[in-house]
Amino acid sequence: MENKQFNLCLEVLRRFHKIGLLEHVILIGSWCTYFYRDYFEGGSYQFSLITRDIDFLIAHPSRLNQKVDLPELLKDLGFIPAFKGAEGYMKLDHPELILEFLVPEKGRGIDKPFPLPKLNMNAVTLRFLNFLSCNVIKVKVENFTVTLPHPANFALHKLIISQRRIKEDKAVKDRNAALGVLKTLIAMGRKDEIRSVFQSVPPGWQKKILDSLKGMQETEIMDFLKD
Amino acid sequence: MAGVIKGVLSEELENSLRMKKGYEENLKRLPKGCLAKRKIRGHEYFYLVKREGRKIKYAYLGKISQEKKEEYEKAKVSRAKYRKLLSQVKKQIRFLRSSLRGKQAV
Repeated sequence: MENKQFNLCLEVLRRFHKIGLLEHVILIGSWCTYFYRDYFEGGSYQFSLITRDIDFLIAHPSRLNQKVDLPELLKDLGFIPAFKGAEGYMKLDHPELILEFLVPEKGRGIDKPFPLPKLNMNAVTLRFLNFLSCNVIKVKVENFTVTLPHPANFALHKLIISQRRIKEDKAVKDRNAALGVLKTLIAMGRKDEIRSVFQSVPPGWQKKILDSLKGMQETEIMDFLKD
Repeated sequence: MAGVIKGVLSEELENSLRMKKGYEENLKRLPKGCLAKRKIRGHEYFYLVKREGRKIKYAYLGKISQEKKEEYEKAKVSRAKYRKLLSQVKKQIRFLRSSLRGKQAV
């Protein structure tokens, strides 16, 4: 990964930390695999393909208690607000990073952006995000900590959503990212953590996970999950 | 794996093209030209300097308000910022296009 990109990501995290936003957000998506490397303390873990999209999950938007104009905060770094689609989903664009916020979808869901007036932003609502926020880890970066989904939740979530992808290449990318994390956990002797997370999800989700593993012919992982 | 990388590169290219369009639109929206100050017999007079094709044109503005000066100054800073971002994104587009071309059979 380019240093420029990582330095920019760090600067964004530093600024989030400074304004107290970092404790309200969970870093999800491909970027959290970069920080798993530190969590796994090197080892054999190879982080997956990282794109420019950096996604922050706000599990409890109502708990945001401080008003911060986020586009203004990141303006001098070169982030420009961009609006996607007729509904106006907001992103902060930079040639090196594309910053987006996500919130868990509740009930029947909404087909428009979820407003985040405290941040002067809006967010995309998505299903299954509670699964990422219900079990998190903290990774120390410089003088602050970044919250990430527990690797087992991250990996199993990737396997679930890979079943819902329309584009096959995206599904493959999800499955590869999941497999990298699962195999590292297994190599570290942490099978039980994967099994316990697997057992905590509804049967429908379990089926999706097993179907993904079956597609990759990962029978060994399937077998111990079924135990 | 090649399919995955190609998919990611295509998505990144789409993003870069979207950004390029946005930067160009923002640049178009900014007031054209820069202010040039001339001091004549102790008084400050301003000209708007802008490029028209290959020529540089000076348009006399005379004495202008502080707000107007700040507006042009802000536009100058924004223009420099957008130009820098545009140049970065154009480089990425060239790189992504060539990488995607490289994936195809020659």
